[in-house]
Amino acid sequence: MLPPVPVPDLGMSRSWAFDGASGHGVDVAVVDSGIDTAHPAVGGLSDGVALHWDSELQDVVAVEGPHDDLFGHGTACAGIIRRAAPDCRLHSVRVLGERLTGKGVVFAEGVRWAVRSGCRVVNLSLSTRNEDLHSLLHDVADEAYFAGVVLVCAINNVRAASYPSQYAAVVSVAANDATDPYALDCNPSPPVEFGAPGIDVEVPWLGGSSIVTTGNSFAAPHVAGLVARMLSKHPSLSPVEVKAVLRAVSRNAVPVSGR
Amino acid sequence: MTEPSAQDLLEDLGRLATDLAPAVRPVGAQRLLASITESARQLFGARACSLALLTDDERELVYTTASGDGADGVTGLRLPAGQGIAGWVVVSGESVAISDVSADPRFARSVAEDTGYVPRAMLAVPVLVGDQVLGVLTLLDRDDARPGAEHDLALLSVFAEQTALTLQTDSAFERLGRVLLQALGSAAEGGSTLAEAVERAATSVPLADADLAELATVFAQLQRQGPAERRLAVRLVREVADYSGRRSPRLPR
Repeated sequence: MLPPVPVPDLGMSRSWAFDGASGHGVDVAVVDSGIDTAHPAVGGLSDGVALHWDSELQDVVAVEGPHDDLFGHGTACAGIIRRAAPDCRLHSVRVLGERLTGKGVVFAEGVRWAVRSGCRVVNLSLSTRNEDLHSLLHDVADEAYFAGVVLVCAINNVRAASYPSQYAAVVSVAANDATDPYALDCNPSPPVEFGAPGIDVEVPWLGGSSIVTTGNSFAAPHVAGLVARMLSKHPSLSPVEVKAVLRAVSRNAVPVSGR
Repeated sequence: MTEPSAQDLLEDLGRLATDLAPAVRPVGAQRLLASITESARQLFGARACSLALLTDDERELVYTTASGDGADGVTGLRLPAGQGIAGWVVVSGESVAISDVSADPRFARSVAEDTGYVPRAMLAVPVLVGDQVLGVLTLLDRDDARPGAEHDLALLSVFAEQTALTLQTDSAFERLGRVLLQALGSAAEGGSTLAEAVERAATSVPLADADLAELATVFAQLQRQGPAERRLAVRLVREVADYSGRRSPRLPR
């Protein structure tokens, strides 16, 4: 358990944030390996796009429409989000395919696609340690922030700086050992800002199956789902206000009144 | 007779270094990798540990080293790089921990067919140099009741770093000529004529010739044996050279 964190007592309780909400009307993008639409835990997709690097054109090419999940990881993230926000509109942005070439710029372009297409929440259970992408991804994170889009980023499982989870404009998440999906923690020592369930989580996988898995990858979609739920009830919240609410509803938050 | 140009000399130096590299290559990279997988397996109390390397065209993962259950079945196995849990680690560069894969019937079936051992739990971490993925280190059915087991992903990544260092050293010897000249080039002042000449020479040094590399490796092996074996080998090689010289007299000496 993280140490207590004092937060201003503004009446933003868990029930104020989430009760009666379902994610209805909120668009959520999963930037990952694709999503298996047919998996019962995913419950259908609104649309999707698959991006790849074209070495002849020397550019990123986006193909809109249905696509597979090659690995299961994107399907797992989508299933977790769906649990927290059953009525949200899910969008699959596939940025990982069979080839590794150009994956950094494909990743950045995938986030831009999600922002342009009107998603309010973007789940990024991916990151890069490539310093050459630092500036590009920083711009992308700022573009999302100013467009009112909440980027929820898993930090790398290994203690090494990775992007975009290090940036202040995003919501960065690591795994805690809670089982209650609402059990968030806020970290008094960033850059990791929040903890959410990510240890031994049962998630949907390929071919209609499910597996039990551990990692920060699976903590981020818990937060993305809760943010979608929150935005369906309080649509005018900006990314910085969303962060303030997430802090206020954390298990280790201690409300402090102003006199 | 004119003096060879600096460019020619540099290129010769690069070729010489590449040809001689196998003779001076540190021994036992493969043994070191085997020792890494075996020590990881023992430390984590795991049933098996394996290393799969990405091929140059990035299309396949080749299991080069394994220890524990199913090791014989998995060694030499080639799988498409863009699939499954190991594929995820390759394309994402992220590690993954799965406590129960048995609920994924496709995984269990394909693994059983390939190695004869179906794990329940697995940890898989990328072997990275910077942002480049060289392969995947996988641990099957570790003892997760050990104290500190919650930090196993980070700990396995330390073994992956060791693996990456071993692979890097080994591959530097495979292309020693280029590595040497590139090092000279970066030591020379950037943009200088010397730096440009060295870089030009580096790109023209061919990669190692497989036959020559093998010959140099055999010489290195003999060098580590006794003087009598070395004298015997020199006599044998001289005989072979004289014989083949008589058979193809037009070949240059």
